[in-house]
Amino acid sequence: MIQLKQVSKIYELGGEKIHALDRVTLDVDDGDFIAVTGPSGSGKSTLANVIGGLDTPDDGDVFVDGQSLAKANDKALSHYRNKMVGFVFQNFNLQPNYTALENVMVPLVFAKVKLSERKKHATECLKAVGLGDRMNHRPTQLSGGQRQRVCIARALANNPRIIIADEPTGNLDTKKSAEIVDILKHLNKELGVTIIVITHDPNVAVQAKKKLTITDGKVK
Amino acid sequence: MRFLDYFRSAFKNLVRHKVRTFLTIVAITIGSLSIILMVSLLVTIRQSVQDFFASMDAFTLVTVTPDPNAADSGSGLIRGDTGGSDESGKILDDTTVATLKALPHVADATPIGSGLWIKNMKLEGQDKKMWANLISYDPETKVFNMPLAAGRNLTGEDMDKIIVSTEFAKTYGSSGNPENLLGKNVVLMFQGGDIPDWGGLTPEKPLEGDDKAYWEEQQKKIIEINAEIVGVAKSSTFDSSQNYINIAWARKLMTHVRWEWQSSCSQEEQQAMKDKTYRGPEKDCSGTQVLVKNDDSAKNGYGSIILKTDDTSNIKGVSDAISKLGYGVSTAQDMLDETNNMLMAIGAVFGAIGGISLFVAAIGIINTMVMAGYERIREIGVMRACGATRKTIRRLFTFEAALLGFIGGVFGLALSYGIGKAANIIADKYASSIDLPFDKVASFPWWLIVGVLAFTTVIGLLSGLGPAVRSSRLNPVDALRYE
Repeated sequence: MIQLKQVSKIYELGGEKIHALDRVTLDVDDGDFIAVTGPSGSGKSTLANVIGGLDTPDDGDVFVDGQSLAKANDKALSHYRNKMVGFVFQNFNLQPNYTALENVMVPLVFAKVKLSERKKHATECLKAVGLGDRMNHRPTQLSGGQRQRVCIARALANNPRIIIADEPTGNLDTKKSAEIVDILKHLNKELGVTIIVITHDPNVAVQAKKKLTITDGKVK
Repeated sequence: MRFLDYFRSAFKNLVRHKVRTFLTIVAITIGSLSIILMVSLLVTIRQSVQDFFASMDAFTLVTVTPDPNAADSGSGLIRGDTGGSDESGKILDDTTVATLKALPHVADATPIGSGLWIKNMKLEGQDKKMWANLISYDPETKVFNMPLAAGRNLTGEDMDKIIVSTEFAKTYGSSGNPENLLGKNVVLMFQGGDIPDWGGLTPEKPLEGDDKAYWEEQQKKIIEINAEIVGVAKSSTFDSSQNYINIAWARKLMTHVRWEWQSSCSQEEQQAMKDKTYRGPEKDCSGTQVLVKNDDSAKNGYGSIILKTDDTSNIKGVSDAISKLGYGVSTAQDMLDETNNMLMAIGAVFGAIGGISLFVAAIGIINTMVMAGYERIREIGVMRACGATRKTIRRLFTFEAALLGFIGGVFGLALSYGIGKAANIIADKYASSIDLPFDKVASFPWWLIVGVLAFTTVIGLLSGLGPAVRSSRLNPVDALRYE
């Protein structure tokens, strides 16, 4: 489904060029569950961002179902992020003034879904992550694990084919981490969603079907 | 994103920072308030001037004065004070009236009298005197509809009848109930030696020779003539002190009756006798005293002539034709233009003040939106990750700024509506006592409401554009990582 061909991404930091991604070539199949590990600054997040259409490669190209992401314009890329990809962040990135339900509705707003349908669908997503009774709570009224589940529900809102989770358990304790990984596994198994997890945690990585390691922008 | 969602999102974000939003809106409210009140006041003044002219059919009238150079002075539509022939000016007499009446598109014409040497006037039985500002016209001609607060207009048969001014009614405490004055008498006080040809008054015959004491006494003598009040004029924008009488009566009042020496000798003969160069037959030139009537109007002409044209569109043609004849011409349109020019100048000053305050308000919006942009960097990142395009982000921010402008405009309108209502109530209460020409001081036509809302919204939108573009250009990865 996703093919990375000779993808490079270079950052300049203090006059020094850093290869966040160095000619990475990679295939991700439909229904994969891939764990990406590697030391800090190795380019894990950059890989996730390039696959998710948040960042564009400086060289090489990313193809999703044969469509180039490097050549796509803002509208096409936004549409791709909206419909195909769901992001789960380490620090949740929830809107503090929105309720859990409203947070989950955000991608649906950009998808121009009607308000009534938005509510219905977001409710289903929250129920799917076990937060049916916390829908009208604000992020500050939720625990870390609950917040991350809201974040997953938001990623699920548009029925994406890929979920990209960048350190989803980085801010959680072991028990809560396991819960989150269980949810991701469930999504992969039951709904066939392709999951790419960036993680430091070997307990998380071990649950994935495939494991990739990045060092200095190179994938092993 | 759907339109309603832009609205929901903008509203939510504005509510989030209540104090900041409130302060920003206050600035816009003040700016729009000053502009609304200014426009509203100007509109009302203009409307009342226009209504006044329209109420007396003034837009079909042309005022003709003897002196072409005095025409532009624009001192008033009905002029009684420019009368009297000077060396160069023409005389406006009945022939002139007939000539002007014969011009194409002229429906009717009335002479306006002048030269009444009435010093004061008062309500019979009262002590307080007023300066007599008397305008006489021919009521038989249907030149103008005198707007009346009470009573009726004059007719051609009315001789010692008068329509009194609003100022007269005010002076004698009848502003609120002008009908009380109807049927009462106005005392017109003549002073200056001569007696008007009315009521059969004749001056005492002076003694033979130079009767100095007699003439001095005549000078001091006040002759009182009564006029019955048949109508009270309505408050008008321009001259609320004018009282009106029939010109036929005015002519009688302007006819001086006095004793004069009449000699059987000619002027030359008398002069020759004085110089002792007279060579003709013996003659007694002492003569006799006779009662003489001098018609001032015949000698000096009318103050002005007012023409009624058959249609407003013919005003220009008629006034041009009269200009060519060498008379002075002025029309209500001229005066309205002058008033408009004056109002425009006032409007420009107020507009500048309002403009400056709105400019300051716009800076406030820019500041608010820049701040909002900084605070929401992470949020913008999330929105981009969730599928928002740059355009969507740009629109979200511009919409929010436009909403600030719109709400400011609404508040400005609401506040000025309240102020206007209060002012109208006060004006209503005191208009009659302080004699304001209009009973409303503020009006809110639909175009003002729509215009102000559109204007403040556009100001908000333009102010938000810069910060919005800036926010939309953020790199989503950097935005998500922003601490």
